[in-house]
Amino acid sequence: MPLLEVKNLKVYFPIMGGVIRHKIGEVKAVDDVSFAIEPGETVGLVGESGSGKTTIGRAILRLLEPTAGEVRFDGHDITHASERELRPLRKQMQMVFQDPFGSLNPRMTIASIVGEAMKIHFRQMDRNARRDRIAELLRRVGLKPEHMNRYPHEFSGGQRQRIGIARALAVEPKFIVCDEPVSALDVSVQAAIINLLQDLQEQYRLTYLFIAHDLAVVEHISDRVLVMTQGKIVEAASSEEIYERPQHPYTQKLIAAVPKAF
Amino acid sequence: MENTNQTLLDVRDLRISFFTDEGEVRAVDGISFSMKPGETLAVVGESGSGKSVTAMALTRLVPSPPARYLGGEIIFKGRDTLKLSPEELRRVRGAQISYIFQEPSTSLNPVFQIRSQIAEAIELHRRDVKDVDAEAERLLTLVGIRDARLRMGDYPHQLSGGMQQRVMIAMALACNPSLLVADEPTTALDVTIQAQIMELLKELKQKLGMAIMLITHNFSIVADIADNIAVMFRGKIVEYGPTQRVLHEPQHPYTKALLECIPRLGAHKHRLKTINHAEIEAALGR
Amino acid sequence: MTATAANSAALAAKPQTLWSTAWRQFRRNRLAAACLWIIVIYVGIWLYAESVYWTAYLRDVVPSYKVTDFDARNAAPSLRHWLGTDFTGRDNVAQLIQGVRIAFEIAILSSAILIPLGFLLGALAGYFGRWVDNAIIWLYSVVDSVPSILSIISISYVVGRGMKGIVIGMGLVAWVGLCRLIRGEYLKHKQRAYVAAARALGAGHLTVMLRHIAPNVLHIVIITFTLLFPRFILTEVILSYLGVGIANEPSWGVMINDAKQRLWLGVWWELGGATAAMFFLVLALNIVGDALRDALDPKLKTAEGSAT
Repeated sequence: MPLLEVKNLKVYFPIMGGVIRHKIGEVKAVDDVSFAIEPGETVGLVGESGSGKTTIGRAILRLLEPTAGEVRFDGHDITHASERELRPLRKQMQMVFQDPFGSLNPRMTIASIVGEAMKIHFRQMDRNARRDRIAELLRRVGLKPEHMNRYPHEFSGGQRQRIGIARALAVEPKFIVCDEPVSALDVSVQAAIINLLQDLQEQYRLTYLFIAHDLAVVEHISDRVLVMTQGKIVEAASSEEIYERPQHPYTQKLIAAVPKAF
Repeated sequence: MENTNQTLLDVRDLRISFFTDEGEVRAVDGISFSMKPGETLAVVGESGSGKSVTAMALTRLVPSPPARYLGGEIIFKGRDTLKLSPEELRRVRGAQISYIFQEPSTSLNPVFQIRSQIAEAIELHRRDVKDVDAEAERLLTLVGIRDARLRMGDYPHQLSGGMQQRVMIAMALACNPSLLVADEPTTALDVTIQAQIMELLKELKQKLGMAIMLITHNFSIVADIADNIAVMFRGKIVEYGPTQRVLHEPQHPYTKALLECIPRLGAHKHRLKTINHAEIEAALGR
Repeated sequence: MTATAANSAALAAKPQTLWSTAWRQFRRNRLAAACLWIIVIYVGIWLYAESVYWTAYLRDVVPSYKVTDFDARNAAPSLRHWLGTDFTGRDNVAQLIQGVRIAFEIAILSSAILIPLGFLLGALAGYFGRWVDNAIIWLYSVVDSVPSILSIISISYVVGRGMKGIVIGMGLVAWVGLCRLIRGEYLKHKQRAYVAAARALGAGHLTVMLRHIAPNVLHIVIITFTLLFPRFILTEVILSYLGVGIANEPSWGVMINDAKQRLWLGVWWELGGATAAMFFLVLALNIVGDALRDALDPKLKTAEGSAT
C-alpha cells in the first residue's frame, strides 16, 4: 500500500477584483494531479517557479485547502479531516522549507524552535528529557548542542537549513516534504544538505517528496521523478529513464538546461 | 607599469576589512588579478568568500564604514579607482563599469515603467543620444525581449524573473560599459531561465566585445563563458588561471572540492562529495 | 559527515538576541541616549509626585500642592517659589510636578486600553483576513472618519468628564493607528515560511498568532507607545484648554488654560513653566521614538528572507 496517495488533486486560487472585490477568475495552480509514493521511497518533483510544485507540497500537508481531489496518507483520507483529526497525522508528515531565513522564527531560540514539536506531540516529556532530545537532534543534523540557546540570525544558510531539518525530525515523522531545501544554498553547502537528507532517510526509514527546479539535484536523490509544468504532471518515470529517455518536450528542455559536464 | 592598452583592469594586493563590534573581518585579503578588454573572468567562491565585496570595490561601492580599504590598487584604464574623487568615480560607475545583481525583482523600481528606468540610465551617461525611446527599444531587443516597444510600458511586476533580469542587463548596457560585473546573475532564477541568461551574456560578449566579470558560487555555469577563473576562499584567491586548466587540472584542494560537490545528471553516484573547510584552512596554513 | 565544516563558521561568544543588537544600535545614537535620560528623570519625578499624592490621600489631608496662600497670589519666582505662585497662591513647581503625574497616568492608562485593543484587532484582521479583516477595517474606518477630538469629547460626556473621560476617550479612539500597523505586519508575517512550519507541526491558530508572530511585531507596540505618549499629553492640554479636561487636579493643560488669563498681567512664569515641562518631555519622547524605530526596524529586515 502506498504511504501517500494523491488522486485528482486540484488547487485553484481565486483572482479577486472589481470595486466590491468579488471573484473574477481563478488560477489553476494544481490542475488534476495524481501520484503515489511508496514507503521508503524518494519521489522528486521538478518544475519551474509557478508550475504549482510548492502548492502540491503544501496541499498534501493541508497548509492549503485543496479545491478538489483526494489526499490519502497511510490509508486515511486527510482531504476533509478537521484540524483536530489532523493533529496526530502532523506527527507523521513534516516539511522542510526552501527559505532558510524566513522559515525560522527570528525571535525564538533554536531550542524552542526544535522543541516546539515535542510540546505539541509529546506532552508527557519533561523539561530535561526535552533538552536531551533537542541536543540529540541537533547532533544528528550536524550542529553543536551547545548552540541551542542561539537565535537563527547567528547561523549561516546551511546551518539554518539543518535547524529546519531537526525541527521536522523532532516529531519522528514517516514522511517529509522537502520543498526546494537546497535551492537557496551554495553548491558546496547543497551537497552537504543532500547527503544529510540521504543519511537520515537510511537511518529513520523516511519517505521523501523532494521538490526542486534543478533536475540534476532531483535526479541524484530520487528514485522516481515527476515533471510538472503549468499545474499538470507531464511525465513520471524512474530517475534513470527521465535522464536517458525523456519523453515530454518540457523534460527535454529541462535536461538541456542543465550545464553539461566539463 | 604595464601598457594600459593591454590591460583593462589590474587589481593588485587589494585588502578590505569590515570593522564590527566583534572585531575585524578580513573580507578581501590581499588579492591580485587582471583583465584584458573583452575578457571574461569568473570569480568563483562560496558566500562569505569575499567575491561580491571584490566586485563592489571596483567602483568603491562597499560602504565605508563599516568597510575599510586597507591597501592595494585597482587600476582601471590606467587610473586607480581607489584614488578617484567622488565626481570622477561617478563617471566610472555605470558609464564604464556597470553591474547586474542577483535579485532582479528588488533591483528594479516597482513604481516606474521599464521605459523610464532604461531612459534614465541612458540620459545619465549619454547626453548625445537624441531619441531615447528608440535607443531603449534597441537595447531591449538586444537583450532578447520580443515586442520591445510594447514591453516598455510594462511595470517590473508584470515581467517574469528572467525578463526582469534581461531588463537589468539592458540597463547595464545602456552606457556601453567596457566592463560588466554580473554578481550571481542567475542564482535567483529557474534552471531553464538560468541557461537562457547565460546564453544571452555569451552572445552579448561576442557582439559588443565588453569584458565581463562573472561572480558565482556555481562552477557549472562558468565553463562555457569564462576565459579565466579565479577561485576565492576566505578573502584570498587560491587558484587563478585559464578556464580549461582550472576545470580539468585543478591544483588547489579547494577548487577540486568545489568541482566535485556539484551533482551531475546521469552520474548515479550514491553520495556527493562535500567540502571539509577545516582541512582546507589547514592546507592554507592558518 | 561535514558536521564540523558546517560549524566552522564562527559564532559570537555570547548568544545575541535581536533585542540586544537593537539596544546596542540605539545607544550609538548619542542624542537619543541623552533623551532617554531625560525620560528617566521624568519618571523619577512622576514616582515622587505619586508618593506626594498618595501620602496626602491616605492621611486624608489636603496635599501640599493644593495648599492655597492668598497673601502670595501670582508671586514672582523667588527662592521659596522657584516658578512663583498661581492665582490662589499655590506653588507652581509643586503643581508642575503633579502635572507630570497626570501626564503619565493618562498616557499609561490610555495605552492600557488602546494597546490590547489595537493589537488584538490588528492581529485578528491581518491573520484571518476575509470577513474578519473586512469587519475590522470597516470598524476602524468609521472611528477614524470622525475627528478624534470630537469623539473624545463625546465619549467623555458619556462616561464622565475628567481623567476617566479622557483616558477612556483616548483609549477608544487612538487604537486605529496601531491596529493598522499591526494588521500590516501580520499580513506580512502570515506569509512567512516559519508560520507554515508551525502550522505543519500542528500548532493552532491562537498559538501561531500569539506565540510565533506576536514577538516579531512587538517592537511596533513599543515604538507606537513612545510616539503616542506625546500625543496623549498634547490632547490632554487641548481638552483642558477647551474646558472639558481634568478638573480639580493640576494638569499641564489646566495650568496653561489658567495661566493664559493672567499673561497680560505680566505673569509669564506659570505658562512658561508648564510649557517647558511639556516641551522637554514631548521632545525627548519623539527623539527616543524615532531612534527606537531606526534601531528595531532594520534589524528585522536582516532577519527577513526572500518570500517563498
